[in-house]
Amino acid sequence: MINYAVQRFIQAIIAIVGVLTIVFVVMHLSGDPTLLLVPQDASAEMIAELRSQLGFDRPIYVQYLDYIYGLTHLDFGMSVVQRVPALDIVASRLPYTIQLAAGALLVAIGVGIPAGIIMATMRGSVIERILTAIVVTGQSVPTFLSGILLIFVFGVTLRWLPTSGAGELSAMIMPSIALGALSMSTFARMTRIAIIDELSKDYVRAGRARGLSLGQVVFRHVLRNASIPVITIAALEIGNLLAGAVIIETVFAWPGIGQLAIQSIQSRDFLVVQVIVLLISFVYVLTSVLADLVYVFVDPRIRLVR
Amino acid sequence: MNTAASPLLSVDNLTVEIGGANVVDGVSFDVAPGKVMALVGESGCGKSLTSYALLGLLPDAARRTAGTVRLQDRDLTALSERQLRKARGKEISIIFQEPSASLDPLTTVGAQIAAAYQTHNNVSRSEAYDRARQMLADVGIPDPDRRLHQYPFELSGGMCQRIMISIALICSPQVLVADEPTTALDVTIQAQILDLMKKLVADRGTSIVIITHDMGVVADIADDVAVMYAGRIAEIAPVQSLFDDPKHPYTALLLASVPKLHHAPKTDLATIEGRVPTLSEFGAGCRFADRCPLATEKCRIEQPPLFDCGGGHRSACWHIDRMPEIRKVAA
Repeated sequence: MINYAVQRFIQAIIAIVGVLTIVFVVMHLSGDPTLLLVPQDASAEMIAELRSQLGFDRPIYVQYLDYIYGLTHLDFGMSVVQRVPALDIVASRLPYTIQLAAGALLVAIGVGIPAGIIMATMRGSVIERILTAIVVTGQSVPTFLSGILLIFVFGVTLRWLPTSGAGELSAMIMPSIALGALSMSTFARMTRIAIIDELSKDYVRAGRARGLSLGQVVFRHVLRNASIPVITIAALEIGNLLAGAVIIETVFAWPGIGQLAIQSIQSRDFLVVQVIVLLISFVYVLTSVLADLVYVFVDPRIRLVR
Repeated sequence: MNTAASPLLSVDNLTVEIGGANVVDGVSFDVAPGKVMALVGESGCGKSLTSYALLGLLPDAARRTAGTVRLQDRDLTALSERQLRKARGKEISIIFQEPSASLDPLTTVGAQIAAAYQTHNNVSRSEAYDRARQMLADVGIPDPDRRLHQYPFELSGGMCQRIMISIALICSPQVLVADEPTTALDVTIQAQILDLMKKLVADRGTSIVIITHDMGVVADIADDVAVMYAGRIAEIAPVQSLFDDPKHPYTALLLASVPKLHHAPKTDLATIEGRVPTLSEFGAGCRFADRCPLATEKCRIEQPPLFDCGGGHRSACWHIDRMPEIRKVAA
C-alpha cells in the first residue's frame, strides 16, 4: 500500500514536470514579451535593457533551470506585466473558478448519474428516450455555442438571469449549466454503460433468486459495483471542467483563472500562464490519485491485494 | 418415480419460447419430498431454462407460454411477481454454475448470507449473522467467524459454492434447484459438494432438482432422472432403471458414450452421429429422429408421447420394443 502510494507520487511529479516543460518551451517559442511591454517608440537600447532586466536575454535552458530552481523554493516568479507575484494573481481569481467548477460538477453529477441509472434500468421507456435526447444534445453542442444560446434565451430574451459577471448566485446558473453539460452527458453515458454491464452479471440473477426485486438488487449491489468506472470518469472530468472554464469564463465574463489564462497568453505573461497550467495539471494528478484512494475504499479486491 | 408419496414439486407441460421456437416443450415431472430429480442433457437442450422457469427467472428473451409449476398446493406460475419474490429463496431456491460470479464481489459473504435471511425474516442484523454463522458450519466451512468477514475473491470456487448453498438454504426452502452446481469445480471438490447436497437432503428433507450433463453426477446423487433432448423429455425414470435398461435410443447412446475404465486405449470413444437440431430445424416429429438408428417415417412426422413402461419408467419413443437393436449399435 505504501509502495503503491510512493509510486503514484513519483509518477505525479514526472507528469507535472513534463507538462510544465512543454508549456515553458511553447510559451517561449511564441515570442518575447518585452516588445509588448515597452512603449511604441522605444529605442533598441531600451528594449535590450528591459530584456536583460527581465532575464529574457539568457539562453532558454538557463531560464528554464532558473524557473525550476525557483519552483523548488515555492517561488513561482513575478508577472512580467503587472510586476506582482504570479501566484498572487492566480490566487485572487481561483475562488471564482472553484465556485464555477463546483456548480458545473453539481450539474454534471447531480443530473448525469441519476439520468444514467434511469437510462440503464428503464430501457425502452419514454423517459429513457427523452433522457437520451438530452444527453446527446449535451454531448454534441459545443460549450461556446450552448453558452451563447443560454445567454440569448434566458439572459437577453426572457431576462430571467444575468448574462455576465459573478455577483449573485443567479449569475452562476447559466455558466454552470453550460460548463457542466458535456460532463453531464459523459457521466450519464458512463453510468448507463456501467450499470447495463453489471446487470448482465450472475450475481444480479442470484440476488433475484433470493427474493429481491430488480430495484433492490440495483440499489444494494449494482450501483456500488458500477461506481468503479464512474469514479475514473469523475477524476478526469474535474480536470476537464477546469480546462473548459477557459471558454465558459470568456463567454460569460466570469473573472476566474480561465479568463485570466486567455488574457495572460495574449499579453505573453509567461509566468502567470505557467502557474495556471501547473495548477490545472496538479488538479488532474490530484484527482486521479484521489480516485485511486476511493477505489481502495470501494473495492476490497484492490484494498486487500495491494 | 416414487408414486407412493404425493409430489412436493409438480411441473406440468412447461413450455418456454424464444423467438417463436419452443426451446422447452411440454416438460413434465414430479419431485417427491426429500428426493433428488436430475435433468440431464447436452448444452442447449433447455435444461437450464427449465430450471429458471421453475422460479420465474427466465431471461428477457425467453417467455413461458404454457404449463404450471406446482409447489405443494400452489401454482407458482399463477403468482404475481410480488408473491413470487416471497417464494423465491424461502420456498424454492436456486444455485448456479459459477459460484464466484453469483456473489457480489464488493460485499462480504457474511453480509450476503445474512441479507438473504433478512429478506424473508424480520430479524436484527446480529441475529441474521448468527444464523449465517450456523449455516456456514452446516455446509462444512471451517472457521465460520473468519469466513463471514471475507470477500468472495478470497475464497475458492468450492468454498463459494458452499456459500451459495448456505444462502439458498438459510430460509429452509422445500426445494433446491441446482443448475450445474459442480461443473465449474475441480473433480475432488465436485465430490465434496455432491456429498454435501446428499447430506442436506437427508438432514433437512429438502428436495433437489439438479441440472447436469454429467452422468457420473446423476449416478451419484439422483433418485430419478429426466433425460432432455432439444427441449423435450426423452425419457424419465428412477435412476437405477434408467442406467440398467434405457428405453430411449438417445439415452442408450448417451450412456454408451460415457468413457469406461476398461475402454481400450487409443481407440475412439463412442459418439452419437450428427448434431442437435437448431431452433429453426425443429420439425413435427421426434426431434432425435435425424440421429436415431431406429428412426422410421412415423418418427419424422409424429411426435411420440411419453409411453409408460412400468415402474415409473416412461419413454418418448415409437420403437421401445426395438431397443435391443440399439444395444447392439451402442456396443
